[in-house]
Formats: sequence, structure tokens, C-alpha cells
Amino acid sequence: MRLLRLRFEYDQRRSLSYENPPVLRIFLDGDPIDAAPGDTVAAALLRAGVTTFTRSIKYHRPRGPFCLAGSCGQCLMRVDGVPSLPACRVPTADGMRCERQNAPLGVERDLFRAADFLFHEGLDHHHLLTGSRLLGRVALEIARRLAGLGELPDAVRPRLAGELRFAKLAIVGAGPAGLAAARASGAGTVVLEREARAGGAALLFGQPVDADVGAGELMLQTECAGLYANDTNLQGNALLAVRQRDRVLALLAERVIVATGGVSQPLTFPGMDRPGVYAARGLLGLSVMVGRKLAVVGEGEEQRRCAEALSRRGYEIALVSGVPRRALGNPVKALDAADGTRIRCDAVAIALPPAPLHELASSVGAQAHFDGNGFPVQTDEEGRTSVPWLFAAGTVANQPGAASGEIAGRAAWR
Amino acid sequence: MALSEKAIVCACEDVSVHEIDLAIAHGFADIESLKRYTGLGTGPCQGKSCEVSAMRICAQRKAVPPEAQVPFRARPPLQPTPIAAYAGLPDAVIGSRVSTPGLRPTWGKGAHPLQPRTPLPERADVVIIGGGIMGLALAWSLAGLHAGRILVLERGYLCEGASGRNGGGVRAQWTTPTLIELAKESIEFMGRFAQELGINVWLRKGGYLFLAHDDETVRRIEYGAELQKRHGLPTRVIGPEEAGGIVPQLDTSKFIAASWNPEDGVVFPWPFLWGYADGARKRGAQVETFTRCTGIEVSDGRVRAVETDRGRVAADRVVIAAGAWSPTVARLAGVALPNVPFRHEIVSSEPLKPFLGPLVSMLGTGLYFSQSMRGEIVGGMGDPEEPPGLNQASSLRFMTRYSRALGDLVPQLGAVKLLRQWAGCYDVTPDHSPVLGETPGVAGLLQMSGFVGHGFMMAPAVARRMAEWMGGAQDEIFERYNVRRFAEGRLIQETFIIG
Repeated sequence: MRLLRLRFEYDQRRSLSYENPPVLRIFLDGDPIDAAPGDTVAAALLRAGVTTFTRSIKYHRPRGPFCLAGSCGQCLMRVDGVPSLPACRVPTADGMRCERQNAPLGVERDLFRAADFLFHEGLDHHHLLTGSRLLGRVALEIARRLAGLGELPDAVRPRLAGELRFAKLAIVGAGPAGLAAARASGAGTVVLEREARAGGAALLFGQPVDADVGAGELMLQTECAGLYANDTNLQGNALLAVRQRDRVLALLAERVIVATGGVSQPLTFPGMDRPGVYAARGLLGLSVMVGRKLAVVGEGEEQRRCAEALSRRGYEIALVSGVPRRALGNPVKALDAADGTRIRCDAVAIALPPAPLHELASSVGAQAHFDGNGFPVQTDEEGRTSVPWLFAAGTVANQPGAASGEIAGRAAWR
Repeated sequence: MALSEKAIVCACEDVSVHEIDLAIAHGFADIESLKRYTGLGTGPCQGKSCEVSAMRICAQRKAVPPEAQVPFRARPPLQPTPIAAYAGLPDAVIGSRVSTPGLRPTWGKGAHPLQPRTPLPERADVVIIGGGIMGLALAWSLAGLHAGRILVLERGYLCEGASGRNGGGVRAQWTTPTLIELAKESIEFMGRFAQELGINVWLRKGGYLFLAHDDETVRRIEYGAELQKRHGLPTRVIGPEEAGGIVPQLDTSKFIAASWNPEDGVVFPWPFLWGYADGARKRGAQVETFTRCTGIEVSDGRVRAVETDRGRVAADRVVIAAGAWSPTVARLAGVALPNVPFRHEIVSSEPLKPFLGPLVSMLGTGLYFSQSMRGEIVGGMGDPEEPPGLNQASSLRFMTRYSRALGDLVPQLGAVKLLRQWAGCYDVTPDHSPVLGETPGVAGLLQMSGFVGHGFMMAPAVARRMAEWMGGAQDEIFERYNVRRFAEGRLIQETFIIG
């Protein structure tokens, strides 16, 4: 066990701090870009100084990666003929062809960015040109042509068969809470973890992780894509759609513990959506640095923690409290703070408490409620949600850490 | 060119703070309406990065009380997932099945926290139960004829029922003359909806392409095309090659003929409800959301009043326009309708650049799909094993069946990712024709239901005729489609039902 833990810490340090020499070559809109093994497409592009990954859907504003964890949709790119893949989740491979979308004349010269200028506050598409039938038709034709992000895939992707599996208890997420829940249960438990390593957010902060799952089975690089009430006549209360790369398996389980953690959140202020503004936790997991000086926007414990960890990565930190007035530049190179001071930086990191990833639980009817930072799933003291077979533990239930996982694991196993 | 200073809340759909404020000012502060009105949370990230910020704005503006600060109904999948991956799920997922309970409300138990506190009027001339497209279009039409005090009761937010859950297909290709005429008039009205009601519904006439896979179905589309031609429609039966010219991505070996009407199309369903509701209110009608009908008072063979969870409203005329909930509502008056609710599931893909003109439907399997104005492939598929019931939960079974059927017919979509699935309920009658007119034995209790998942495309015309009929005009459809026909054995069989 101790050895395992040491290995994890080693892997973690290596992946978080290395700057391996680039040995791969990928192509961005036809131009070669060097990449290092282990880089995601986003990491390779950022290392090469590319910050605009796409143009936004309506106003054609420049966009670059934000969350760097596959949940925000700001870094979607066409990769090897497949539209709208998150560049932050796609590992680089030699010869990979990446293309930026939604900018017919090239992402830097995109003429449609005039939309951002013309509708400088926003666009009320419901009431646009309703007065004239003819103008309405013209608007429809234009809107139709501008809509959408990616073009159809180049190639036909054949069906990849996924198997059927059974579990007594399925735990979604191998962060501290999910792992503790697994140890508190027994044989017949399956733990699904979308990353290549167990540990969740603890890995980002270099905290020790006990990756032991007891008698359970840990499935890495395996993501729960959907949670359903079981409507087959096979045994089990829950039916999970479980994604492994390009296949989806069906997993039937008697009980489910959702320990999905949280999602990095943006902060609403003008310019926040521009390239050069990143989630602090996203930067912690990124294999490259995005400059030297980082303005870390946020408050309280999360800001302090992220700033410390980012400083250990070698960034020079400027703490910014309150909601900034605006971000300036493309990519962002300065912030006007709430008090009016201008802070110059190479990039901005947003350090807000991650919002509970409640979606799996709430999609089957578990109650969740707003608490100012997100919508934690409501549970009783043993982690039960309002759905009888469903439990929640850790950040998703607003109880970060292993303790809530252990309690839920024990209750769900009974 | 300098970037504008707008503050973006939803980066996927480019929704600004200003747009959220507009929606709140318009009365769409509840998170489900806010999502639909602004589009926030409907892009590739499905709200994971904007829902919290949007709720923070609502809370700061005190637009919704704390009990209503819940997420919008989360929809699978958690991450965009390719069609080919769903298609590969094991057969056990689509084998024999059991029924599941529906979903509980997102806000918990009891009345919705946004239920208005103001009392309802003690009396109305017409109470319409159901604020879907039928009820709202009727309210607008009635108010235009100065039909007195009109009150619409909707148990949820506008768009909560099937009118907000359909794929937006509108067509005149039907096999009964009445439905052809109703749809024709309605589609014509949709073309000028923006001028009449002041809101865009984005009618795009890309046509409807019905595919027939066997000789019996070919005979059906030939009969339909012949009938539709007599009613002035340009419907033609075409071969696979010509169909392949219209949609080059189709695998033309999967069908032997197709019925093609280039004048059918797709709309964006939600603005119809907002437009009709606003229009009805402007004409003096009252539309009350989050208000539930709990009883219907009948005495001496006449309807007298409607009971709600906000008190009693006396009325001489009550219209049941509650879609799949109509039989449940009718039972409150002691009336048994033959309608049966069935869940129907639907899914939306990632937004793609425009490539698909028409709505395509496979008549044998009930598969249909079209491309929305926003670029998503929106489609569904009927399920012969679906048990009856008012279930609006989503299933993996549907995703598997749909992905297999769609991937077989349009192989190039295999790597396209599905973003969001949901379900609504069809209101199914024994002959697939609607139930209209006065209830036998209960004077003043009027029926406007049984549209079998296709009411959306007929509502404008049905509502106009119903309003005029209620004003005293003669109209035989309210006799012919009366619920009495089931007892008398006068069924009116409609066969072009999809999904």
C-alpha cells in the first residue's frame, strides 16, 4: 500500500512539473506544432503560444480553453476529421490534424466577429426583425448559415460493441470520497474514474491519496455518461451508461454512490470569456505553463490554496479579490480590479470553489439546491439522496473529503 | 476590431448578463424558463459552467425565492457521447423491459415555490385547463373575438408539457382531409407568426421526407400523396435515388420509395407558447402558471366551476386542453376519455453546420430527425414496447435504439455526439384522431385533446375554428371529432403517425 502511494506521488509530481522536450508533431489548420508526449492538444497549442482555439457560436468572440478538464466547452476543435472535441481532453499523437471551427475565413480574420460589435450588449433573437416577413426570412437564412459549430465527420465510425456488467454497488468518481466509500463497502463494488489515476482533486494539490479500493474494482479512464432507473428486466435498480473511449458499456447496479466532485466555475465580468483566462485548478493539472505572472482571482480558502499550489508550479502570483471590472487584451494581459487598480499579467486564473457536479444525481430525480456556490445534492446524514437507491458523497454533496464517503459507503453497502 | 465589453454568462451559447436581465424582466426568472428563453445551458457543456452564475444573478436580483433556486432538470448524457458508442450497447439494454416511475419535481414536494400568491378571479367566462400550445392559441383566438373573461391554468412553467418537448416538425402530409386542411392553415399562419404575435418562431421550410421500406408502406404513401395532391399540396412519391439527392448522407439501400413535400418544415417550438401567452394577455386573457387544477364541479349535467390549488373559479365553460394529462383532468369531472398517455423520447446532438434540409422519417420504425435552426440534429423514435403512463424520464433504451436506427440510415453520423435527451408524452386516441367539441352529458365541458403528438402543427387552425365555434359559428368538425364517436363506432383512422 505504501509503495503504491509513493508511486502515485511520483507520477503526480512528474506529470505536473515536467517540461519534456517536444518530440511529436501535430498540425493546427495545416501548420506544424511541436508537442511533448503526454501533452493534450490544448497543452501543445498553449506551449506553442496559440490561445484562440475557436470562435464563439453567436458573437464569434475569440475563445480558448478555460476549465482544462473537459467540462466547459470553450476549447472544442475538429481533430482528425471529428468535429467539436475538447482539445483539453484529447492526447496528442504524431501527425494529428487539428482544425479550428466556426471561422470560415480563419480564426484570426473571422469577419463574423462584427456580430459582437453590432450587438454590443447582447442579441434579442426572439424579437429581431419581427416587423417584416421579408426581413424575417432574410434573417432566417443568415442565422441558419451561421449556426452550428463543426462540419460533419469525415469518416464513418463503426459501432463498437460495449458489454453488459453487473455490480452490487457502483461508485462514480475515485476522488477521496469515492475511494473511501469503496473501502467501506466490499466485493461487488465497482469504482468508475474518468481520469487515468485515482485521487481526484487531491492530486492537483499534491495531497496524499489512499488509492486502495478494498475488495472493489477500480475502472480507470471510465466515465459515467448517464444514470438511469433500470428499465430492463435484469437485476438492479440502476442502469449506468459507462463510457470507455469510443465504447459505452451498460452497468447494472443495486445501489449507486455519486462522488463526482465539482466543476471549475467562471466568474461573470466583461472579458472573462476571452482567451487567457483559465480555471486555477485547470492550470494545476496542465503539463505546460501559460506564462510567468498570474493574476489569481477569487476569494477565501480556494484562492489561497490555488495560489499556493500555482506558486509551487513556478508562477508569480498577484492575488485579486472581488469581481474585477474587466479583463483586457486578447489574450488577456491585464485586469481592472474591483478597486480600479490595473493589474498586468500573462494570464488570469479564476479560483472559485468548484460547483458540485450534481447532474448525474439530479437527472434521476435527486434533489439539489443552490447554496451560493453551486447546487449540492441534498442528502441525509448517511448520504442518502431523495432517490432510494442513490447516495452522494464528497464535494457533490457539499461535504468534501473522505469522511462523507466512508459513511455513505457503509450505508450503501448495508 | 475591438471586442465588446459584454459580460458572458454562458460561453457555449454566448448568453450575456444583459440577455439574462431581459429574460427576468420578461417574467422568465424560473431556471427552466430562463434556460429556454436565453438558451443558456443548452450548448456543448449543458450548463456545467453557466448554471451557477445564472442562478447567482437571479438570486442577486431577488428574481426567485430560495426554494425555487434549484437546477434545471439535468439531462443525460453527462458529456457529449457519440452515436456509434450508444449504438454498440448490448442487446440486453433494449430487450424486454419493465416500466419505471416518472421523475419527481426538481423543487421537491407540494406546490411550486413560484406559484403566484394573488387570488384567482371568482368567476371567468371560459377556463382553459392546460397552457400548452392548444390552450394558449385558443385563449388568444377567443380573446380576439371578445369572448369574455378567459383564464388559462398551467400547472408548470410555459413549455413544461409536450408543446415544449417536441422536435418542432410541421407538415401537411396527412392521410385524412381534415388534418391536411388544419395543418395547411396552421403552417401558413406560422409563416406570419412573427408579424401577428411579435416573436420569431424560425419556420424553415426544408420539406418532409417520409421513407418507405416495404410495399405496403409504399401503397400508404401513394394513397397519401394522391389525397394531398387533391388538397393542393406538392407531395410526390420519389425513388431512393432522388431522395439521396435531397439528403446525400442517406443510405439509400434502406428504403424503396419516399414521400416528399418540400413545403413542410421545422419550427422552434418554445416561442409559440411565449408569443401566444403574451398575445392572449395583451388581449385581456389571464394566463396563470404553476397553478394546478384539482377538481371540476358538475351539477345537473352542466359544468359549474374549476377547483385549483389557488381556490375555486366559477365558469360556464371549461376547456380541457391538457394534452396527455387530459384523461386525468377529465376524470375530475367524472368523464372517461379514451385517450391514453405514452412517453415519447427525443434527443439533440451537438450543433453542426447546416447540411440537412428536410425532416426525415422512416415510416416502418418511427425514426425521425431534422436539423434545428441552431444546427443540432433533433430526433426521436417510437417504441412499440412503451407502456402507457405519464412518464417523462429518459432511458438508455431509447438512446440505444435511436442511435442504431440513425447510424444505419445515416452512417456518417456515427462520430457525431449526442448532447441532451428528454421525454414528453403523446396523447394517443384509439383512431389517432383528435377529440374535439362538447362532452356528451356535461354541457359546457369542452374537449380539445387527443392530437397524438402532432397537435403542435395544427394548433393555430384548430384554435381559430374552436374559438369561432364557441362563438356560435357552425363547424362540423366539432361534431365529427366528438368523443361520442368512440361509443358510436365512427372512428376516423389517421395512419401517418410517426414516433
